Amino acid sequence: MATGADQAVGMGLVGFSILLFAYYTVWVIVLPFVDSDHEIHKYFLPREYSVILPGVAALILILCIGTFIGVVTWKNRKPKKVD
Amino acid sequence: MTKLLQWLLGVSILGVAWGIVTFDILDLRLPHVYKEVAWPMPVYLLVVFGCYSLATVGYRVATFNDCEEAAKELQAQIQEAKDDLKRKGLKM
Repeated sequence: MATGADQAVGMGLVGFSILLFAYYTVWVIVLPFVDSDHEIHKYFLPREYSVILPGVAALILILCIGTFIGVVTWKNRKPKKVD
Repeated sequence: MTKLLQWLLGVSILGVAWGIVTFDILDLRLPHVYKEVAWPMPVYLLVVFGCYSLATVGYRVATFNDCEEAAKELQAQIQEAKDDLKRKGLKM
């Protein structure tokens, strides 16, 4: 069975993704329909950042995955046989 | 029509629609708001897909179960195989 920690982590992931989805949807889909002098605009970065930030996040993710794969293959490489 | 072609067709239709709205190729005089919503759409869809994947992984982690029936069955089968091999003279 999933232990308490597993359940906490899993539900944490679900909650985080739901929050992210809600915030990002409001940012990208709803905000253009709101007047630009409305209160709500204080809680969001300028619109360009809705593409720049995911781009930066994707870049960091790809770098991390690349580093991970590099390290794993480097550690697992077979030493060449010396004749 | 293969699945690949179906997907390529769907994606290219969406892509053309996106391009028409974003770059205003046909000069449709759409309201400015449409363009504002349309241009981040590819990134938005990617982020939504990421959220969905993360939520799926989280949900499966939270509701991960043991398969006790299957474990018993598998152990019984291992025992059966061992007995059978022993009868045929294999030393374990």
